[in-house]
Amino acid sequence: MSAVEAFAPRATLNIRDVSKSYVVDEKPLPVLRNIALDVQPGEFVSIVGASGCGKSTLLRLVVGLDADYEGEILLNGRRIEGPGRERGIVFQEHRLFPWLTVEDNIALGLDGSDEPQHVLDKRVRDNIALVGLAGFEKAYPHQLSGGMAQRAAIARSLVTQPAILLLDEPLGALDSITRAYLQKELLRIWQQERVTVIMVTHDVDEAVFLSDRVVVMEPRPGRIRSIVPVGLTHPRQRASVEFARVKGEILRDLSGE
Amino acid sequence: MTRLAVPLVLPVAVLLLWQITAARGWLSPQTLPAPALVLSTLIDLIRDGEIATNLQISLRRILVGLAIGTSLGLFAGALLGVSRRMNDYFGPIINALSQIPSLGWVPILILIFGLDETVKYLIIAKACFVPTVLATSQGIRNIPRAYIEVGQVLGLRRRTTLTKLIVPAALPTIFGGIRLALSNAWVALIVVEMLAATEGVGYMMVWGRTLFQVDIVIAGMIVIGVIGLAMDSGLARVERRMRRWEPKNV
Ligand SMILES: Nc1ncnc2c1ncn2[C@@H]1O[C@H](COP(=O)(O)OP(=O)(O)O)[C@@H](O)[C@H]1O
Ligand SMILES: [Mg+2]
Repeated sequence: MSAVEAFAPRATLNIRDVSKSYVVDEKPLPVLRNIALDVQPGEFVSIVGASGCGKSTLLRLVVGLDADYEGEILLNGRRIEGPGRERGIVFQEHRLFPWLTVEDNIALGLDGSDEPQHVLDKRVRDNIALVGLAGFEKAYPHQLSGGMAQRAAIARSLVTQPAILLLDEPLGALDSITRAYLQKELLRIWQQERVTVIMVTHDVDEAVFLSDRVVVMEPRPGRIRSIVPVGLTHPRQRASVEFARVKGEILRDLSGE
Repeated sequence: MTRLAVPLVLPVAVLLLWQITAARGWLSPQTLPAPALVLSTLIDLIRDGEIATNLQISLRRILVGLAIGTSLGLFAGALLGVSRRMNDYFGPIINALSQIPSLGWVPILILIFGLDETVKYLIIAKACFVPTVLATSQGIRNIPRAYIEVGQVLGLRRRTTLTKLIVPAALPTIFGGIRLALSNAWVALIVVEMLAATEGVGYMMVWGRTLFQVDIVIAGMIVIGVIGLAMDSGLARVERRMRRWEPKNV
């Protein structure tokens, strides 16, 4: 029962008929077309799809870094406008500020909060413990391994107590052992915090291991091809027949038959 | 041990060549006095306070000019770096003005201000302003978008964005500019003192030359070199302190 958990708000996200184009060489390049997705509070949804099919772009729209799109993105029924602390994101690269220590990086998310300092300090400490980085509070990012830096980035995004957490291939750059370990950690954090998660990944196995539903996208322009419910209880056995069946279904959709 | 010795190889070689040249009489003592004579002149100049007086005057000029030039440079550079619009308006003109070497301003400033201290301050301030402006605006413009986005997503306040993001990210570049400013200032100072001054280390050297006392000139060069080196390594030290978050030995 962490203090973090007690306050974690819940969020319903509605992505309604969202389309997005970039302008490249003065010509519009359609990147997303008619994306529709509803995410329930506390749900874990993964997005898989070929690289370049607009997964990162979709997360950027949801987090509010880009407002230039058609359609609607609603959070608890309200249209999102710009970034907000109820939405956290972990980018594919950890993006920790190299000039700040781990704890100072994580404390950035509490900037401007009017709670007393000892409460803020405790929240930083709790989140460092949550991602298993206790003892590394004073380390600089360059002193961390890739997996540790990514965990620090996750703590930084969780310290704001977001209702919804967006993860953009958070484990993509890690070796397979660290990765398998952090997948279990992600599962634990998600269950503990009951935060709504949308995770982009290129690893179907990872998507099936973690998610309630897996969104399969197809490229040029990015569209949703199918949404596959996983429907297995945690902890999931990768070697099980059901696991393989769901994985097979997603892979079939991905390759476009 | 060897790391300390390596930088000394060249000076020792030069000193040796100098000693041999003087001893063999390849150049007349009026042109190139022996090292021993220069050393004793240097000691005399230090002892009778000649160097201290002149150095004090020169250092004051440097400090005033550096303070004016770098603070204006930081301010203008920050504006140009943050605002695209400002950069469009003032970037080209600052660039054009910076193409004129600092010393190109000396004649017109002497016409306006005479041999006043103002001339020295302005010349040195100008020499410091240019590299500081360029480094500051460039340092700010080159902050990776990735970090700016993190600041937006985390909802950092303006003040925090400045102190925890913009300043530390741009600092290495800015500091490079300030070190360049200092070395420009040093050059500008000596030349302006040679052209338009009645005191200072540069003037002392001109004075030595008019007396045909090359030993004084060389003593002045040594003083300039040593002080310049000391100031630069002082700044380098400060810089290392500020960048202690960076990986070592990369
Ligand atoms: N800022 C941008 N300007 C122009 N094109 C972009 C920009 N960002 C992404 N794209 C293009 O949009 C497409 C989708 O990119 P992205 O969302 O990063 O895909 P994914 O994350 O699925 O690999 C790609 O073709 C990419 O080249
Ligand atoms: Mg991507």
